Amino acid sequence: MVVKVDHKWGMVVDLDKCTGCQACVVACQAENNLPINTKDLFMQKRAFEWIRIERYWEGDFPDVRARYLPVMCQHCGNAPCEPVCPVYATYHNDQGLNVQVYNRCVGTRYCINNCTYQVRFFNFWEPQWPERLQNQLNPDVTVRTRGITEKCSFCVQRIRRAEVTVERRERTKLNDKIMAARNYMPACVQACPTNALMFGDQNNEQDEIHEYFEEIRGDDHGDSRGYRLLEEIGTDPSVIYLKKVEQFQMEHD
Amino acid sequence: MKLTRRNFLAWAGLSAVGAVACDVFEDELRVQSPVSLPEDLVKGKENWYATLCRTCPSSEGVVVRVVEGRAKKIQGNPNYPTNMGAQSARCDLGLQQLYHPDRLTGPVRLNGPKGSGRFDKITWDRALEALKKELQDRDGAVAMITPPLRGHAALISDNFVKAFGGKRIEFDSLDLNTYKQAIENVFGKKIQPYYDISNAKYVLSFGSDFLSTWISPTQWEVAYGQFRDSKHSDRGTLTHVDSRFSVTASNADRWIPIKPGQEGKLALSIAYVLIEEKLTPSKVDIDDLTDGKGLSALASYHPDNLAAELGIPEHITGSNSVSELIRTVAREFASQGPAIAIGGGSAGASTNGLFNLEAIYLLNHLVGSVGIKGGVILNPDSPIKELSAGSSSHTITDVENLIKDIKSSKIKMLIINGTNPVYGLPNWTGLKEALENEDVYLVSFDYLMNETNNLSNLILPDRNFMEEWGDDIPEPASGYQVIGIQQPIVNPLSDLDPRSSSDVMLSVAQDLGKDSDLPWKTLQEAMKSMSDQLFDLNRGSVPGSTKQEFWNNLLKQGGWWDEGATESSSVDVSNIVSNIVAKDKGAAVQSTGEFYLVPFEHNSLLDGRNGDIPWAQATPDPVTSIAWQTWVEINEKKANDMGIQEGDVLKVQSENFEIKGIAFLSPAQPPEVISIPLGQGRTIGSSYATNRLDGESANVLDMLENHKVNETGSLAWAATKVNVINTNTSLRIAKFEGDFESREIGFTEGEKLIKTTSPNGNNH
Repeated sequence: MVVKVDHKWGMVVDLDKCTGCQACVVACQAENNLPINTKDLFMQKRAFEWIRIERYWEGDFPDVRARYLPVMCQHCGNAPCEPVCPVYATYHNDQGLNVQVYNRCVGTRYCINNCTYQVRFFNFWEPQWPERLQNQLNPDVTVRTRGITEKCSFCVQRIRRAEVTVERRERTKLNDKIMAARNYMPACVQACPTNALMFGDQNNEQDEIHEYFEEIRGDDHGDSRGYRLLEEIGTDPSVIYLKKVEQFQMEHD
Repeated sequence: MKLTRRNFLAWAGLSAVGAVACDVFEDELRVQSPVSLPEDLVKGKENWYATLCRTCPSSEGVVVRVVEGRAKKIQGNPNYPTNMGAQSARCDLGLQQLYHPDRLTGPVRLNGPKGSGRFDKITWDRALEALKKELQDRDGAVAMITPPLRGHAALISDNFVKAFGGKRIEFDSLDLNTYKQAIENVFGKKIQPYYDISNAKYVLSFGSDFLSTWISPTQWEVAYGQFRDSKHSDRGTLTHVDSRFSVTASNADRWIPIKPGQEGKLALSIAYVLIEEKLTPSKVDIDDLTDGKGLSALASYHPDNLAAELGIPEHITGSNSVSELIRTVAREFASQGPAIAIGGGSAGASTNGLFNLEAIYLLNHLVGSVGIKGGVILNPDSPIKELSAGSSSHTITDVENLIKDIKSSKIKMLIINGTNPVYGLPNWTGLKEALENEDVYLVSFDYLMNETNNLSNLILPDRNFMEEWGDDIPEPASGYQVIGIQQPIVNPLSDLDPRSSSDVMLSVAQDLGKDSDLPWKTLQEAMKSMSDQLFDLNRGSVPGSTKQEFWNNLLKQGGWWDEGATESSSVDVSNIVSNIVAKDKGAAVQSTGEFYLVPFEHNSLLDGRNGDIPWAQATPDPVTSIAWQTWVEINEKKANDMGIQEGDVLKVQSENFEIKGIAFLSPAQPPEVISIPLGQGRTIGSSYATNRLDGESANVLDMLENHKVNETGSLAWAATKVNVINTNTSLRIAKFEGDFESREIGFTEGEKLIKTTSPNGNNH
């Protein structure tokens, strides 16, 4: 019998652990065939980073902090990008993922306009790799062409591999431990040295992230350590951030 | 020819073949033989192989995904004791090293004057013949420069060059010799210890950017993740003392800015408070440490006396004065144990660097943290006799002596193995001029062109780490014996013809009868014999009832380790305080200028070794978010006073040298310090490393004055002072963040992107 599981994937980002080291950023670029961010792309503010580290300043020398915030597609339950796509290139699947279908995309960029988190990227040019570097491209991930919008997929290719191998062939229920042990975690989560990124199934009680999603659902007063980015807008993201812990308060507080 | 039916069919057949041959690209016909890697060529099937990553000096354990004979992804090896499945921003760079478009395809020989860049392709046979001939002609006058090496790569290089009467110099721009010397003086062992940050409750670090580039950052980051503890009921505290706002400073609970070179005085002042307020645990024998002098041994380090000298601003984390801050930190350090004090980086790079580091590491003895869980854990010797657990290290002084020998023709042949010293040494060392001498025969093992091998007579393309065997004794290991194994996981592409530098050395030594200390035909053979030795130890992580089974499992695991094989030696600390205090003499920074210059290793380029790799260039710096360029980090208010705006090209002048870089205005930079990352300013290399506008790429090493660390002879790279001049030209800055000021703008709680809470769970 095939195990039928209702997954709802989600991520938890512990801001107290993120050091801003960029390991997730490079791992994502390697896994997902992102175009090389040339100097020109940086100058045009069009560098492709499906997961990025935002750095915010607070205070001034010497009472100063730099805060790091990893931002990837929030896979919103109520995603502003989805209803505006005229060709259904972006839609919500039954596992809580916000999916981008590249061969449907016609490049209107409405979704990019409407995204609250600015996590969608448009290929203004055909991405180029020198011939030899093409050997590195991941055969599981489509190389996007000019005129296509792309974004974080929670490494859906790895999730699919996990489902096919573990759930269909081995008939075992997936959990975060199996995914971590067998390289099915999203590339950023797997790479993160401080374990600031956690991934799993919001519906699976065994998964580490489950309790954070349970807590936030029952929390109306902002008492839990978890919160979601710009949640007042009502996008219902599948990514929870855990508040940064301040051992010593800043003087201006 | 008469057209018969038979002829017609023959012609038709031929033209059909012709059509096929024209239609198919040549590349597609060059299919790798499935015989050599049968399992890899199953369509769509992936294999993961364990090996070691060589893009940073810490050599992390990785697993590499291989599909149809091509490496696709590098990830941390979950079993490997140092990085435990995690990786840094540098691990995946190996893929672009392996498939770099500018990789040398085969051996080349200089055809023209040195430095002309005119090279002829030759076959390996002719290249090896030339190498052998020169080695024989110049026997006794041979030297080798490599990066710091460990394991068999070090052993083979050493014995090879020794067989020709020479010596190997380990070159590292920011060498660790001062750190290692301090470790030996304070802990009695030169092997680097393991800092058990994961079990510590308090970390006091000085100058070491251990969350970004210092020694083994992934290992420390894994531990740091556990130190921070998600449930935050039991969260550790990090206080970081640094003369610049590094990645580690930005993550610390408390950052204490300090004048470069004053770190040791601050540490001894903390020591003073520990003794004065009797905060040391009862097991610590203060009389033994101070030779019976007690507090008087540290009399000149009373916090009140030092407050003005240290350059620490007032009111750090709510303290009323600097001396109160010192007392607070000392009390926290003593009471919130287990506590660790670590130091390195810029703290060890002023002329009094050795004093600074010894004073810092002394703090561990004062709170009884040496050899305990959550403290400083000494690492054991290597399980294999001929492989040392502590790599030797040379300093810039050793390189200068070598250059003298080259200039005086004592050395007539230099072999450079996988490093770029012409770029990585300050210009005043004169290495480039020495190598330009046509009488010196220069051989390089490398995979890309660079400033050094451009002066070569012969360049031998080396294999990438994913195409070659290797091993490593990680330094530091995790408190027990570890040997990492590197194995070839893909074959070189068909258009490349690299050979393992170790194998070349072994075969040349054998051909010339110089193989008495090199009993192996190949590096693989050396590793197999090591595997047999490990098998005979009959302990450790690798199962196997036969030697072959053991070898297979060793490769599968990516290494051997024995958690029971720890270090038990105790440290003799008698009179250590007086020895350290005696080293506190002379100014820390000797040159003059308005600003202290504090260079630092770039998060992904490191000291420039990854400069040719596109991902390394395109990874934004964590603090500034700048990529592809050299920036000059300057305090925002100070810059405003000087009329400097972001993007202005600044001329940074030391007494004798100057470079240009783009201004980045940082609200966190101390006003009297400017900092510049290493890694850019390449002149010869791939298009990713070079090809920059004037003013946006410079090598900060070129402007360091000739200052050395007392007693160790290392380059005192944080001992130069500089002036900053605005050239009144500006360039666009290639940074990831937007052009508006990146400060939180939320007015309501819901709009705030980054929310904070206190350790007891009260929201801020």
